[in-house]
Amino acid sequence: MSMIFRIAKEEWRLWLRSKVIVAATLIVAILLAATSILTVDRVASEQSQRLAQQVTAEETFFAQPDRHPHRMVHYGHYAFRPPPPLAAFEPGVDAVTGQSIFLEGHRQNTPMFADTKAAADLGGFAALTPANLYQLLLPLLLIILGHALLLRERESGTLAVILAQGRSGLSLAAGKAVALLAVIVLFMLPLTALAIYAIAQGETVLAAASLVGGYFLYLSIWGAIVLAASIILKQRAVSLGALIFIWLFAALIVPRFAINASSAAIDAPGKIESDLVMLAEQRKLGDGHNAADPAFLRLQKEVLEQYDVEKVEDLPINWRGVVASYSEAELTDLLNSYAENRMEQEASQSDIFNLFGLVSPTIAVGSVSRTLAGTDLATHHRFLRESEALRFDFVQSLNAVHANELSYADDLNRSSDPEAERRTRVNSEAWRVLDEFRFAPDSASDRVDRSAFPFAMLFIWLVLATAITFFAARRVRV
Amino acid sequence: MLSNFSRELRFLAKDRGALFWLLLAFVLSVISVTFGVAEVRDQQQTIAELINEDKADRANALEGQEDWGGAAYYAFHLTYAPPSDFAFAAMGQRDSSPWKHRVRMLALEGQIQESDTKNADFGLVGRFDFAFLAASVAPLLLILLLYDLRAAERTARRHDLLVSTAGSSGKLWFPRALVRVATLSSLLLIPLWTASAMEGTSLGNIGQASLILIGALLVWWLIVELVSRIDASPSVLLTALIGLWLALAIVIPALSKFAIEARHPLPNGGEILLLQRETVNDAWDMPKEATMDAFLEGHPEWRDYATIEQLFEWKWYYAFQQLGDVKAASLVDQYRSARLARDDAAQLVAFLSPTSFVERSFEKLAGTDAASMIAYEDAVREFHAQLRAFHYPMLFKGDPFDRELLEGLPAFAPPS
Repeated sequence: MSMIFRIAKEEWRLWLRSKVIVAATLIVAILLAATSILTVDRVASEQSQRLAQQVTAEETFFAQPDRHPHRMVHYGHYAFRPPPPLAAFEPGVDAVTGQSIFLEGHRQNTPMFADTKAAADLGGFAALTPANLYQLLLPLLLIILGHALLLRERESGTLAVILAQGRSGLSLAAGKAVALLAVIVLFMLPLTALAIYAIAQGETVLAAASLVGGYFLYLSIWGAIVLAASIILKQRAVSLGALIFIWLFAALIVPRFAINASSAAIDAPGKIESDLVMLAEQRKLGDGHNAADPAFLRLQKEVLEQYDVEKVEDLPINWRGVVASYSEAELTDLLNSYAENRMEQEASQSDIFNLFGLVSPTIAVGSVSRTLAGTDLATHHRFLRESEALRFDFVQSLNAVHANELSYADDLNRSSDPEAERRTRVNSEAWRVLDEFRFAPDSASDRVDRSAFPFAMLFIWLVLATAITFFAARRVRV
Repeated sequence: MLSNFSRELRFLAKDRGALFWLLLAFVLSVISVTFGVAEVRDQQQTIAELINEDKADRANALEGQEDWGGAAYYAFHLTYAPPSDFAFAAMGQRDSSPWKHRVRMLALEGQIQESDTKNADFGLVGRFDFAFLAASVAPLLLILLLYDLRAAERTARRHDLLVSTAGSSGKLWFPRALVRVATLSSLLLIPLWTASAMEGTSLGNIGQASLILIGALLVWWLIVELVSRIDASPSVLLTALIGLWLALAIVIPALSKFAIEARHPLPNGGEILLLQRETVNDAWDMPKEATMDAFLEGHPEWRDYATIEQLFEWKWYYAFQQLGDVKAASLVDQYRSARLARDDAAQLVAFLSPTSFVERSFEKLAGTDAASMIAYEDAVREFHAQLRAFHYPMLFKGDPFDRELLEGLPAFAPPS
């Protein structure tokens, strides 16, 4: 055991003496510190800004004057998605999706003002986040540090001496592995600090610790690959070239290839496309603004029977409000079936994308990272569902006010003169039907469950890479 | 000289490592243009279907209408920016900015900010298109092909002998490197040219794209050449070159992007919508003259027709819709000019980073850069203005409803 640590210590001594390695490590460390601070700062300000916007939106809604309740249905409301605490490490899809959504009667809108739409365009990697650095840059640093771990002993002839002393290739490799592992542990510190920060911001220990664990696994996989290459290959430059090829493939090529492949495999129509198909069905539902639409004849018969009256004028409730409520429910069912369908297709596209984690650990760790941080596509979909529930809830509450607090006769004649118009205004106290909306990601255990599959892929990678290293190390000859 | 090249070609044919990188470049190029062409075809097909469905839907919506206001309210109009003949090579902003909208006569700001974008994971990771290959991956392949030309001979202790036999160092290394650079460029370009021929790309675009790619590779060759003069081992050279690649492809763009965005802040998008929304909603509770007076400031030509007598009239309704846009106009303008300012700054900074430069240049050729997307939005605004110009005479003059006249509704023409 002490032999292993001695080898590791020797490796560290060599690294610390190499200018190239010290410089590379310092640069990566500085980048990591800088992006972490910038991202933490940005996410914290977005968090408080969006929360404030949500509160303002609610206050504005409550502060509306007396008016016809259906006007409030069209006035609408906003839902905001504040970034979760771990977004300071992994901002995820937020920049692409936009974070606010306008909610109004009879419509499902899309989120708006995605950052990427207005970003300065400088090509593929310009969005630097701590997560990106861990996924792309740290493996490269491990490659630079470790591509000659065992090769150096071979080249300088010390390998023969060590083997002749009766040390096995395995213990030599173990020593090198410990040296590399110490580097990995060192580089886990910034992430751990960010995780502790997130916990202080209200994130659970489970999610934060799992995230740290996921990246530790990921970097260990790269460590094992690097060590294996340094054992198997016989020339320094070949080892470095091969490792850079693996990095190029896993970190740059496969993720983008996987995006193209999954979008080609499942054709998810855009919203306008599916809306146009839906509109034909929607017309059959009738227009909720027009209580005389033939689509509502059956409803009329049922309601008249229920209250045992002959004409809608004799109903104790406002027939127009009943129609508004009924047609909103029907329409929402239709809208939701199309929205669910779109989301399911997107989710299966992402499932295919995630499967490529078997070819590239970078994809697997990215998926672990977004899921645990609560910035993945599934969380975005949940935001869409919850804001839709909020929309339906306030619209229907207003429709209930419309049906119960306005007389049908007044409502029907509201455009005849200003006095009649005033009679159709409801006291603004009624706007209190709006629920407070505070979006929070899934519970930590749900997120951990959802990340089980990509985690499993990372384990497979680690087991495979370690096994290759192990068998290669056992067969080390001069 | 020629014999030098044919000798180097023979050497290259025996260098398995080099052949591997070259083959990889070719395969990746084929994959990138294949995906690109498929995506462009898909978008074209989507647009063709949307045009038909939109037409049918509008006819359907107009069928039951009995007045001008209702017809304008229920008729949606498709607007779109079709992919250009070179878009297959660089999808650029088409993945993050919307390229299709359905708009109607209501306030425009609430409609034009809708984004019908695809799966969010796609925008996050990005596509494997030719622009990405040429900008980011090709330089790495070039580095791997060239970094140890000298150093390998040095390690094999043949370096000095070879140089003295060849007479001068230039005669030896120049043909060797040139053969590799030329082979790499042609293997990257052949698939691009083939796809261009299929898509009917203009010769000017193909020529410019080829020159940009070759130029970028020459720049990287120069970088490799300068670095590899350092008398160091191949692995140290490769490390240094990868470090340079990282700095030029990742660090400089990321830092510049951060600086540019900090320097050109955007007005909060939500504010635009909120302002427009509040203006439109407040109008319901305001005296109608207040709305009409404000409207007449921009449209004095309707002064004689602007008296509102009923509690609800369509011309009043559309007047306050337009006022919503007018009220938000200065914020909208700030938003637009901040985006353009960011793009201009990015254009300047791109000279510091060959990867950003190549990617941006390809997007510009393909009409998928920020400026093109803003041009599309401008076209939608222009079209919406045409819609208003078409409807206002009917709404204000109060001519009897005539469905035939709706045949003359303006049709959207995509920006070319």
